[in-house]
Amino acid sequence: MSDIAEMNLKDLAAAIKRRKVSSVEVTKALLARIDQWQPALNAFARVEAEDALKAAKAADRALAAGKAKGPLHGVPVAHKDMYYSKGKLAECGSKIRKGWIAPATATAVERLEAAGTFRLGAVNMVEFAYGPTGHNVHTDNVRNPWDQTRITGGSSSGSGSAVAARLVPFALGSDTGGSIRMPAHFCGTSGFKSTNGRVSRANAMPLSFTLDTVGPLAQTAEDCAIVLSVIAGPDPLDPTTALAPKWDGKAMKRSAKGMTIGIPKSFYVDDLEPDVAKAFDEAIAVFKKLGVKVIQVELPDQVMVAAAALIVLAVEAATYHAPWLRTRPDDYGAQVRNRLQNGLAYGAVEYLEALRWRAHALEAHLAAIGKCDAVLAPASRAVASTLAETDVAGANNAEAIIQGITRFMRPVNYLGLPALVVPAGFGQHRMPIGLQLIGRPFNDETVAALGIAFQGATDFHQKVPVLT
Amino acid sequence: MPDPVTPERIAALAAAARVPLAEGAAARIAGAVTPTVARYAAENIALPLETEPSSFLVVQMKDATR
Repeated sequence: MSDIAEMNLKDLAAAIKRRKVSSVEVTKALLARIDQWQPALNAFARVEAEDALKAAKAADRALAAGKAKGPLHGVPVAHKDMYYSKGKLAECGSKIRKGWIAPATATAVERLEAAGTFRLGAVNMVEFAYGPTGHNVHTDNVRNPWDQTRITGGSSSGSGSAVAARLVPFALGSDTGGSIRMPAHFCGTSGFKSTNGRVSRANAMPLSFTLDTVGPLAQTAEDCAIVLSVIAGPDPLDPTTALAPKWDGKAMKRSAKGMTIGIPKSFYVDDLEPDVAKAFDEAIAVFKKLGVKVIQVELPDQVMVAAAALIVLAVEAATYHAPWLRTRPDDYGAQVRNRLQNGLAYGAVEYLEALRWRAHALEAHLAAIGKCDAVLAPASRAVASTLAETDVAGANNAEAIIQGITRFMRPVNYLGLPALVVPAGFGQHRMPIGLQLIGRPFNDETVAALGIAFQGATDFHQKVPVLT
Repeated sequence: MPDPVTPERIAALAAAARVPLAEGAAARIAGAVTPTVARYAAENIALPLETEPSSFLVVQMKDATR
């Protein structure tokens, strides 16, 4: 068998189920790879080797006794350190929650464990998930496996780095302003931001109750869909999921032929670096070859949509953190404290107006895309910058660079749409480029089908970084 | 063009939220949020009276079941 650690989730779960490989062998292979890469990447917050091996042995025994738990039986995973597991640390990349033990388990984690996964540890993240680059003054920065001087993107920095380096078959991230999609783009993985209301956020650390979403980073679009098929659906602990449909496995397997994707005429195609523009054009050609109808669309003013998103995010984040901003302001890193304090600047009417305007903005978006199944857009205007040039504590124009590389993210969060980032090439400095497929509300399966079709015709998702 | 955000406005809002700000923070915040506030104000949002935040869910579901 080829390197076990490099297998994608679908193949790995199937190999364990057919007993071609044991869960113990998988766990040992991943632990060995973590030992090799962790000093270079700092992707893991904690590795729980002993507990993981015990769980792997138990999984193997259960399988031998014909008692497989579910479709992901025996698969070791590690999630962003903001998904609570009862009795385990969940430090959220912060000093403030250092040593904090979770009193309950996140619904998404419970569902994954019911499907057979177990915990290998937890992966690092940006402090309180509030930053787009992966910098963290408390845990140190997570580094990009393709070039360790470059950012991973954030805030699911450890999830992106660990999946790209094949330290875990998948990891949960969270996406409030691009925090799954940016690491997926910068690290060369697939990453799925689910429709708002599709996956329960219960017992995951909140940042914005309006915009927070849960989703996976994995090698492939199909792997992401497999994870979503397990975690999506209503949860009494998260009332925003009350209307969530169950995952439709058949819709996910639809042929892309005959589907329609829209290409934005502006905003998402403005000011692209040439390597990103080239990858975008080539991806359009791939979809055309697959029999997908490609049309141009003029989206409503995305700068205004992003402004409304920023107001909602900033006010809700400041509200969550107000007690600590009052009593422990110096325990935040300067970058995160500054961002949180920015949320104090908006008035109640501005904030509530931004919430009321959301319905209108979504209607306008849907009218603009007509019958399109999805919109295809770059995830960012450029490949990953260096850690040094995006360090707001040091570099003079860091904020401008960060604004530039993150501007394609927030509209999707405000509109609550599903969006999948898929690797679509390599650009400057041999760094990955990702494109996002932005779907219609609760049509996550269609987005997955388009991503699966794209990856059936390309091999960028199969490229693996080499430790140097 | 709407008025720029002033440090005085920031200081008043922070005081109302009972969050202390270090010296110079109000001016920094004012500079950081002015582009967003200005773009947002320029839109002059005027929605039907009946629109509420949960109207978003109605639009979401209407499209999902189309």
